[in-house]
Amino acid sequence: MPQSPRAALPVRILASFNGPQTLGNSRFFWCCWLVAILALALLPCFASRYHVLTASNFLISSILALSLCLIWGYCGILSLGQAAFFGVGGYAYGIVGINLIEPMGNTDLALLAGVLAPAAFAACIGGLMFYSRLKGVYVAILMLVVSLLLGLFMRQTADPSYTIGGAYLGGMNGLGPATASDPALPSLTLGLAGYAVEFDGRGRDFYWFVLGVGIAVYLGLRWLVNSSFGYLLVACREDLQRTETFGYDVRLVQLGVFCLSAALAGLSGALYTAWGAYIHPDGFSVAPNILVVIWVAVGGRKDLTSVVVSTLALNAISIELAAWGEISLLALGVILVTAMLAAPEGVAATLGAWIGGIVGRKRAGSATSSVPARLGAAL
Amino acid sequence: MELSGQIFSWVYQYFDNMAFLLLAASGLILIYGMMGVINMAHGEIMMIGAYIAASAFHAGAPAPVAIVAAGVGAGLAGVVLERLVIRHFYNQLLSSLVVTWGLSLIISQAALLILGPSIMNMPTPFGSFSVGGFSFGVYRMVLFAVAVALIVAVWALFRFTAFGIAARAAMENPRMAAALGVDTKRIYTLTFAIGCALGGIAGGMFAQTATISPFFGQNYTPMAFITVVMGGSANAILGLIYAALYLAGVQTVASNVFNPYVGYVSIMASALIALLVMPAGISDFIQRRRARAMER
Repeated sequence: MPQSPRAALPVRILASFNGPQTLGNSRFFWCCWLVAILALALLPCFASRYHVLTASNFLISSILALSLCLIWGYCGILSLGQAAFFGVGGYAYGIVGINLIEPMGNTDLALLAGVLAPAAFAACIGGLMFYSRLKGVYVAILMLVVSLLLGLFMRQTADPSYTIGGAYLGGMNGLGPATASDPALPSLTLGLAGYAVEFDGRGRDFYWFVLGVGIAVYLGLRWLVNSSFGYLLVACREDLQRTETFGYDVRLVQLGVFCLSAALAGLSGALYTAWGAYIHPDGFSVAPNILVVIWVAVGGRKDLTSVVVSTLALNAISIELAAWGEISLLALGVILVTAMLAAPEGVAATLGAWIGGIVGRKRAGSATSSVPARLGAAL
Repeated sequence: MELSGQIFSWVYQYFDNMAFLLLAASGLILIYGMMGVINMAHGEIMMIGAYIAASAFHAGAPAPVAIVAAGVGAGLAGVVLERLVIRHFYNQLLSSLVVTWGLSLIISQAALLILGPSIMNMPTPFGSFSVGGFSFGVYRMVLFAVAVALIVAVWALFRFTAFGIAARAAMENPRMAAALGVDTKRIYTLTFAIGCALGGIAGGMFAQTATISPFFGQNYTPMAFITVVMGGSANAILGLIYAALYLAGVQTVASNVFNPYVGYVSIMASALIALLVMPAGISDFIQRRRARAMER
């Protein structure tokens, strides 16, 4: 957004989050955004403990959805196995956490491992895939197979020999302590210079922490996709060969964004493990992988805000449907297929552009705003 | 005696693994090679075939009839899917992947709701024979024979019939084919239905070796996908055969020397290595080699 030199500081800060790669760049949008964030932050004050608990999980899911949105929507790399990184992050957090909670007194390193382990894993697999210039469809399917194989491996680790330090992989029982004297899966405990703050996964503090992380990830990604690197990502999505002809090393760009996405998915997995004190081989199976794709595809893969909105909405819908029996996955499948037929760019993104168009048109008379044009360009 | 049995056991397993890959992937690779759509719901089509075959069998039909019925039923399901959904997603590789995945979720969950998680069974026919102190099932050899017969039939269909010529024309250049009076939409529907029918027959065949549940298809799809990815789309049938020859060999050796899990992982690893050399699949690689040889 072009700035006059006298623009106020908040406007200048806001400007770095705005651009043609995201929907919602107007002052109206940011006011609504602020209201929504305030409502989310105040949720624990009037909602029950159970609602806060499930809301924490929804926010964790949103981070996972954002990680897929980044590679699929912005860089055109579809991964049908995004839950692989989620699971690797979760297991890494658990294994390091069990081993280090007693000597260290905090889970800082565990959280770090939950982010870095999947990123390193993605660097290995992504390096092989992108540097051999594998077709996009093949990348998508190979990632799914990788995830299923990881699940298959974790399932057969019930043998007591599968221990890493004090952590026992545990097969279908999920990760746990190796012996009775080893600590259980620790809840998130952040420590700094002797002080340690514990966030119990069931409590309000954990909810606020996850909300903060979620906002940071959202704003960070908005900044990233609207930076010059974001333009490069979109260029790779639109035409890989042409981007390469312009002198960019597209393989490196793809690998970099793939690792970043894996790190975010791993962060989400680590938070999930801390939330439920639980991680299980089913995290690698088909259902979690397809859920992420549904959240992103239904929302609108090319826009971060739409993906968050749809993730929260679809999670709420599936919780509501759970009361009616085992139909939530069926309903989500129907929603996915219907949405892809009716609104190929995503339901939330289409609605968002429509609302933006109405608001923009009302203002067009008084101000020289180019909001509708921008909203149009972002779709 | 022991050695001959051991050697025969390896050969037997090799053909068994190859039959598995050929049957599971044949319909999938036909649809991918002809239409550029990877049908993620293929496993669920196989599941439909397996249920039809088992129900028909328990209703008193002989096994071959039950399997043909499975093929017909799955083919009809394919027509419905293609007409309602798939045809909106041609030439959109990634979107077709996602939408067919959604379909697979719908079909498997609907089957779970309607039929419940209980399992069905079909007996394995033909008994067994023994070589060198080891006992082998005859049916596995029948599986291989059926897989080969199906692939020859598909090859002949696309090579010699009027439909096959029209289908290959529609694949090569749809606009030109349409201008020459080929009904490309009908061709696509039929090709998709044939691919699904192959999946249904495979499901019916596998139904006699495994228990049938709403998640029946998930046992077959990962390996089928790897075979398709390795085979590539340049020459679907040839790619399928080469990929199955290679992957079955890797799997037989690795699962005998180590364990079945290592067998699966080594299939994945060997497919990755093969793709590093041939990023668009085996068939594309061979076609290019041939083209280069022709130039000389």
